[in-house]
Amino acid sequence: MRRKDWTRVVILIVALAGGLVVVSVLFYAVLAAFKSPGESFGSGSSWFPEEWQWGNLIKPFEIAPFGTYFLNSTFVGITVTILNLITCTAAGYSFSKFRYRGRQAAFVVVLATLMVPLEVLYVPLYKLVFDLGWVNSFAGLIVPAATSAFGIFLMKQSIDSVPDELLEAARLDGAGELRTLVSIVVPGVVGPMSALALFIFMTNWDSHLWPLLVASSDQYRTLPVGLAAMQANNLGDTGVPIILMAALLAVLPTVLLFLTLQRRFVDGIAMTAGLK
Amino acid sequence: MSSPSVTTRSSGSSSRGAASRARRSLTGFLFAVPALALFLVFAIYPGVQVFGLSLFDYSLTSPPVFVGFDNFVFLSTDPRFGEALAQTAFYAVGTYVPALALALVLAQALSTRIRGMGLARLFYFLPLAMSWVAVSIIWRVVLHPDGLLNQVLGLDVNWLTSSDSAKWALVIMSIWKETGFFLILFLAGLASIPPDVYEAARIDGAGAWRRFWYMTFPLLRPVTAVCAIMAILRGMQSFSPQAVLTDGAFGTEVVNLFVYKTAFESARMGRASAVAVLMFVLLLGLALVQLRALRRKD
Repeated sequence: MRRKDWTRVVILIVALAGGLVVVSVLFYAVLAAFKSPGESFGSGSSWFPEEWQWGNLIKPFEIAPFGTYFLNSTFVGITVTILNLITCTAAGYSFSKFRYRGRQAAFVVVLATLMVPLEVLYVPLYKLVFDLGWVNSFAGLIVPAATSAFGIFLMKQSIDSVPDELLEAARLDGAGELRTLVSIVVPGVVGPMSALALFIFMTNWDSHLWPLLVASSDQYRTLPVGLAAMQANNLGDTGVPIILMAALLAVLPTVLLFLTLQRRFVDGIAMTAGLK
Repeated sequence: MSSPSVTTRSSGSSSRGAASRARRSLTGFLFAVPALALFLVFAIYPGVQVFGLSLFDYSLTSPPVFVGFDNFVFLSTDPRFGEALAQTAFYAVGTYVPALALALVLAQALSTRIRGMGLARLFYFLPLAMSWVAVSIIWRVVLHPDGLLNQVLGLDVNWLTSSDSAKWALVIMSIWKETGFFLILFLAGLASIPPDVYEAARIDGAGAWRRFWYMTFPLLRPVTAVCAIMAILRGMQSFSPQAVLTDGAFGTEVVNLFVYKTAFESARMGRASAVAVLMFVLLLGLALVQLRALRRKD
């Protein structure tokens, strides 16, 4: 091997070692989640459980409505993702391929909201949702999240690269604007759309503060809110394996999504920064 | 289209053309309506209303009372708000300066082309796919006095239950969680640098360090700027780790948690709105400073 190749091997080994340090935290947590309630997860004790408590896998469902939290997160996540795909693609199409008065201004206003963090808005937003009677309802969880400035920006940029000639051809064939969008534009931007879908779903799965405000009853709680409540109720050391198991089960869907769609996921993040 | 056909066009067909153009414009606008309506109702309207609410004493259950600038006067002398601001700055700087630096260095290593590097990348990206609440719960065990961190460091620190260490515990956890995000951005930035730039430098005999400092780093400046803006936004919005791990105790109450507690535990929504207004002004100021700094470098 040449000297340059050796350098690469050394870099790889160091990078893998560092990566293992990162992952060791998860490894430690997974092992601790299978321990028995009283077993130490501390110094002097083994990382591995003395006896694997496979029953821990279902305990979160027994001590709290964990299954409901899971279903709520799934339902809200999928609905919000679909709504975002529709509203953002339609708005992106509008901003990209049509000329009308106020279009530029509207687009700039949308972009400006990218810089406004949720904490600036959520007090009046809560008042609004309260007045609408949407506290403790799926509408309160879903509707305010049904579009995103980033999504509109991403879809406009992507649709810009769909050639106008293609759209003209479809129109000459007598296709309406909606059919042109669905049959010509959408197939051309499947990549960005799937990146957007993944990004929105992941963000929604992570969303904590807003659901905490609008879903205070167990019936509507999503996973982050439910998990936080579960751990607040089980602060004693004996509850540690169960609450750990709950947290690990809660990240399983997004981790699996990430592992299967890593490329799209990475592209999506790069797109959030306008780097792709 | 040839010019004769334009000049011979009858007035009837051109007005029909104008009508169809107008109809197309209207259709085009209609595609934006769902998104714009949602923005209007759930972003613009509350964004404007927050300024109004900040001038009222208001809880959801009783009618608002106009108090002028009392909320702002109160906040200007409230030590708890001052500490929340300081804690937010500490958290943002403590987490994101190391996370960005680590990500920049790691990106150099992880962009090396060799089989197996994909696996290394995967390890670093993994925390990104996990929600903040779940990560906080996992780290509660890591940060436990008997937990992994003390084991590895050979320490006996009560990470989450002392004012000396709680803010550091949050920072350590957040660096673990956030580095991967910026790593992705820097890797995307590196991938966009054409390889022949490096070839030229290598032929000129530039060493690895000089190549990084004089070529890679300047070429990554736009990415670094984006990362800095995102870091500020993410740092100022932090909520879950503090809410889950300490509930703001031991000197870890950040602004977002302060707003939450003021609005929803003390039911002072006017005062919470005043904080929101101050944060809005602060962010706007930071954005302007950043834009100016960027323009100067150009």
